[in-house]
Amino acid sequence: MKRKWKVYRPFLENQFKRNLAYKGSFYLFMVCSIFGPFISYYLWMAIYGSASGSVLGGLTQAEMVVYVFMSYVTTEIVTVGVSGEITDDVMEGSVVMTLIKPIDYRMSLIFKSLGEALYRFLAPAVFVWIGLEIYKATVLGIGITPAVNILLYIVSMLMSFFIYVLFDFCFGMVAFITTYMFGMNMAKNAILGFLSGQLIPISFFPEVLQRIFDFLPFSSMVYVPVMVYLGKYTGMDLVFVLARQLLWIVLLYGLGTFLWSRITKRLVVLGG
Amino acid sequence: MNTIKRYVRLYKVFVAQFFKSLVQSKADFFIGLCGFFFTQITGIAFLYLVFEQIPVLADWSLEQLIFIYGFAQIPRGLDHLFTDNIWLVAWRLVVNGKFDRYLLRPMNLFLQVIFEKLQPDALGELLVGTILIVSSLMKGIVIVDAAHVLFFVVSVIAGAVIYTAIKLLFASFAFWIKISGPVLYTAYQLADFAKYPTEIYAKGVRFIITWVIPFGFVAYLPASYFLKPEVNVLATVGMECLIAVIFFVIAYTVFTIGTRAYESAGN
Repeated sequence: MKRKWKVYRPFLENQFKRNLAYKGSFYLFMVCSIFGPFISYYLWMAIYGSASGSVLGGLTQAEMVVYVFMSYVTTEIVTVGVSGEITDDVMEGSVVMTLIKPIDYRMSLIFKSLGEALYRFLAPAVFVWIGLEIYKATVLGIGITPAVNILLYIVSMLMSFFIYVLFDFCFGMVAFITTYMFGMNMAKNAILGFLSGQLIPISFFPEVLQRIFDFLPFSSMVYVPVMVYLGKYTGMDLVFVLARQLLWIVLLYGLGTFLWSRITKRLVVLGG
Repeated sequence: MNTIKRYVRLYKVFVAQFFKSLVQSKADFFIGLCGFFFTQITGIAFLYLVFEQIPVLADWSLEQLIFIYGFAQIPRGLDHLFTDNIWLVAWRLVVNGKFDRYLLRPMNLFLQVIFEKLQPDALGELLVGTILIVSSLMKGIVIVDAAHVLFFVVSVIAGAVIYTAIKLLFASFAFWIKISGPVLYTAYQLADFAKYPTEIYAKGVRFIITWVIPFGFVAYLPASYFLKPEVNVLATVGMECLIAVIFFVIAYTVFTIGTRAYESAGN
């Protein structure tokens, strides 16, 4: 365990440092990414303004504000893809280098993602989070989130991170089959954004679809941690959703291992 | 006249080259199409889910919003299809000195840039836009007469020009700052604000998307002309055209000045 940490920690650190080096463009992307929640914010305000009831999809207007910004915070930290990296490695053929080195390719990617997630947590996410809490206490008047919810959220969000990374590793295996990952990525982002609860809370979907989504890993990526933060799960429900997240980590880890071993068996690289 | 003929002929040559590369990778084309298609479909599904909860949003009905959504895709798709290469100016061509090759040819620089590439993925946007507009037409919520059809075409073209102008303006900054991709990306992302009625935003946001980066003129303002009989054409489509012309002139001027300031990276 200790040895592993020593081997993979530099991946984490390097990714973090690389972000520090390209600050200019990073800040601009950050500004862009904050447009999303603000569009949603205005949109939901208008939606609640047009609605006859005060609760939509099980959320009050104040809770929706929290949902919008916390799903942004969660998405920022959690959705650190590794498929882009895999695509580059496959395209350049440098993926063979990872096969001859005595390190686990997936593990190195996960650590890089951790470095990225850590940076994103520090750069925009934590400030939006603090801003939201201040807004909650002063303008919305519903007080700050209890410490226990925050702790549970952090646990749930960490599991989300692993679900996303492991899922994206499996998705990245597609790069071995097609060369046009740009289009594949767009499709993936669209579907994920919709089914993970990023765009709209899962509770807005019809009952039947919600039952189906229970069997997919996507709602565990964003929707679950945010609802945990809002304190929407109690008792056994809470244990259940967290256990389900853990199950997805195990399943996606297994699937990734299987796909990787199958694909590297038939891998052909010219040059590199 | 002769110059126009020459450029038409040249464009045919460029497009023919492009199609040759396209048939080489049919699967890629299909994947790209699906990517854009899914992105649009989730946007529509979102509207459906929201309207399960409410009857109207800021005085717009679901049918009207879907028409506007589709209507907004057409200029966006057209711009995407024809001028996608501008992105490369912002990200790569200036910083790695490849812009040199345009300067060596006896042809208008802007046209060279946009002639070089067609982006077939945009057909996904055009497809979704067309489907939504046709379904709106069948529901009978859109005003159809000779004038409206004519101004529809005008508005779509003007909208595409607005998109192109915004892209060109921000891409041109690359001539001074080398890579303007992130700036362009930021400005372009503002287009997302234009997907929903501009009335819902705070004053500051509304000011920006109307007058600073005029994406507000691409969808909602002109679309209201096709949905509401009392709306004046000059105040909507006319205004859109005026904005399109003004912004394009500004963008093109900056682009021209930029090409003079361009320093090659050397090869």
